[in-house]
Amino acid sequence: MAKVTVRSVHPSWKGANNGMERTSTFQLTALIILFQIGSTSLFLLASDADRDAWMATLIAMIAGLALLAFVTLPIQHMEPRKNLVEILKSYLGRYVGTALAFTYILYFCYKSVRNVREYGDLMIIYMLPNTPLFAIMLILVLLSGYAVYQGVEVFFRLTEILLPIILLIYITLIIMLTSSELMDLSRLQPMLEKGIKPVVKAAIPGVISFPFGEMVVFLMLWSFYNGERPMSKVSILSYAFSGLFILITNISIISSLGPLSTVSTMPFMLGTSYLQITELIERMDPFVALLLFAGVFVKQTTYFLAAVLTASTLFKVKRRVMILPIGAVIYIGSFLFQSHMAQVWIGFKYNLKYHFPIFQIAIPILLLLIMHMKKHRMRERL
Amino acid sequence: MTTAIPKQLKVALNWINSELGNSPDTVTRMFTPSGTDSVSVGVVYIEGLVSMDTVNGRIIHTLMDAPDLGDQKPLNCDGYFRFLKEKVVSVGRIAELSTSEEMLTALLDGYTVLLIDGCTSALAAQTPGGAKRSVEEPSSQTVIRGPKEGFTEDLGTNISLIRRKIKSSKLRFVQFKIGQVTQTDVVVSYIEDIANAKIVDEIQKRLESIDTDSILESGYIEEFIQDRTFTPFPTLLNMERPDSIVGGILEGQIAILVDGTPFVLLAPVTFNRFFQSSEDYYQRFDIASFLRIIRYGSFFVSMLLPSLYIAISTFHQEMLPTTLLISLAAQREGTPFPALVEAFIMELTFEVLREAGVRMPRAIGSAISIVGALVIGQAAVQAGLVSAAMVIVVSFTAISNFVIPSLSMATASRLIRFGMMILGGTFGLFGIMSGLMFLLIHMAGLRSFGIPFLLPISPVSVKNLKDVFIRVPKWAMTTRPRLISDPQSSRRQAPGQKPAPPDADHATGGESE
Repeated sequence: MAKVTVRSVHPSWKGANNGMERTSTFQLTALIILFQIGSTSLFLLASDADRDAWMATLIAMIAGLALLAFVTLPIQHMEPRKNLVEILKSYLGRYVGTALAFTYILYFCYKSVRNVREYGDLMIIYMLPNTPLFAIMLILVLLSGYAVYQGVEVFFRLTEILLPIILLIYITLIIMLTSSELMDLSRLQPMLEKGIKPVVKAAIPGVISFPFGEMVVFLMLWSFYNGERPMSKVSILSYAFSGLFILITNISIISSLGPLSTVSTMPFMLGTSYLQITELIERMDPFVALLLFAGVFVKQTTYFLAAVLTASTLFKVKRRVMILPIGAVIYIGSFLFQSHMAQVWIGFKYNLKYHFPIFQIAIPILLLLIMHMKKHRMRERL
Repeated sequence: MTTAIPKQLKVALNWINSELGNSPDTVTRMFTPSGTDSVSVGVVYIEGLVSMDTVNGRIIHTLMDAPDLGDQKPLNCDGYFRFLKEKVVSVGRIAELSTSEEMLTALLDGYTVLLIDGCTSALAAQTPGGAKRSVEEPSSQTVIRGPKEGFTEDLGTNISLIRRKIKSSKLRFVQFKIGQVTQTDVVVSYIEDIANAKIVDEIQKRLESIDTDSILESGYIEEFIQDRTFTPFPTLLNMERPDSIVGGILEGQIAILVDGTPFVLLAPVTFNRFFQSSEDYYQRFDIASFLRIIRYGSFFVSMLLPSLYIAISTFHQEMLPTTLLISLAAQREGTPFPALVEAFIMELTFEVLREAGVRMPRAIGSAISIVGALVIGQAAVQAGLVSAAMVIVVSFTAISNFVIPSLSMATASRLIRFGMMILGGTFGLFGIMSGLMFLLIHMAGLRSFGIPFLLPISPVSVKNLKDVFIRVPKWAMTTRPRLISDPQSSRRQAPGQKPAPPDADHATGGESE
């Protein structure tokens, strides 16, 4: 039985692209996990909640899970072979649907821009202080563009290779942090010093928007799924796994850095920079920076790919035609921020609270309601 | 365009001679066999292509001594033709020819052509011969344990080497003639029901579509049929060892044998296949797995070590332990060039030395190693041109390169190395990481005859992982690699063959009684 599925996953014998791109169960799992982990370890999520940040993360994760299970996935389930643009167009009419789809292109591009810029800045701060930012970002965008050029299937396959490597390194780092004297769980005490309110406030909508609500991008990718297991189950389990992973990272950051974690720009990097492997490797942070590379790369490419898919479906052109314009938008867009701090600040102060929830929560919920209403009316007519 | 064979023997022989340009190695002979006075027979062959023993002993001698026709004469043309074919010429493979062109082809293939005066058809007898190398130990892929025979330049010998290892009626050899001028024989070999029929068809289709004047080596075929040209990675495997090829055929791969070269192609291949040596299966599985991991490591060292050295010593010195950093800094102090330039000079020098070592007449070979070791190793360091650490890096890189069993994959890592060095010298570890990511995307998109190049890793296939990074014991490999072989015949051997000592009381039973 397994044989049949493997063959159906790769029906194209003659080349990478013959319009039959399909992804398997493990590939979807790998992408969701990598996408969710992405750049989260760059920041201390929910740092507003101080040492209770991990609780805020947990709350956001559960809220995100609900969003995924009751909003995003049901949308896909009602139209399993359509992507977001097609769903928007068929349920909201040509004009509203097109307009909304267009805003999603901008949203995906902007998300990609943030990742490109974040990693570019990280590189300049930690590894290559004398290298111009434009060169680093150009390499990042070109790499992503190349991955998108190779197609959906290749990108999914890429995540499949990256996942075991990245998880292995992360787990090693976390074990090292735990076993070293850096970590001290008593730094999590006292819990809920100021009550539950600031925790919830930090979680919603901040941490939902980043990273847990970002699953909305999969509305562009789920339609490629062709695995053996049910899609919702795979998505929810992968999501839960990555959520727990983020939670553990969060706890290890707080408990090893204490109050320092909320003031540091890149707390995970700071924590690992105190690590030493028996005098052999003195500084681990270049490795961590490279580890983040893979996560950020996957995230920025997913958004790049989603933007290209959206644009090509919307304008009814070939996918490869849209790579150059979208790539250019992302590259130019990444220069819009004044500095790294400005970028982070805009992100956490405005985007996470006011802008991203529109795309991640509001539109999907509205869309789902309209879909239900239309379906209902159709059934009544019959 | 066909022309009939001229009726008159003399005309026919003259035509052959003039078509072949009165070549001195063409032998045309006319004689009258015993027992007949009226019929004259012509024998034509090309000297270096036939075995003289066969021609003289089995054809000319028997013709001369042909049994008396007795009362059967006078025979007409057809009758005599059949008489020759059935009673006289004692050679295994015989063909009847009806056109002049067929005659020429047969001659050039090493057949001996028999013509009868007054007949419009000719007889071709296979009399293979000519100079050929005997089966020797392969020069490029040596093993300690395992068969020592290697393929030769002779297609027939190579086929027999495979046939002798697989005594199955399902073993197939499909012949093609490729090359308008060279008319090279190319044979596709696979096992029916084990090889994937789709891939067999695809390979045959690609071979048939080749339109070129010459095929001199399997490399020609490789360039015509590979899935993608612009890639540093080979998507076909070439091997000189029959046991490796047979191993591949048994896993469902398809071999392409080309006349005139000992290098046989194997397709479709995946990345991990380039790190398997046939010896892995003859040694104990633990050491085989260990060596295989060493090989993967060496591939990365060969690809990345110089660039890592450049990147860390130029951009990320903080990663090094203090003492190492100080000693490196002390070495680098006296050297005039930046690390990137230094590494480039050394790597290029090594490539020159290596190429010289291959091209040099063997007699002067030892000279080059002395020059290389002394000049590049010691003198350059003493003169303060390069740092000692760089010499160590370059030499270790070079040695690692030789660990990779497949030469074509080793070459790939050599080329990639230079790109990585530039990336490492300009963007440090970030550059190297980007380069690796680029390669990974590229490889994830590569296919070999439709099979994803990184197969058991991506798309992941846990069952196929038994023979990738490690080699599990033979009894545990119950299935053939999926996707490559025919989906209907994935079973390789019966499960549960793990050997174990006999039951305790049963074993000691004999002694106690």
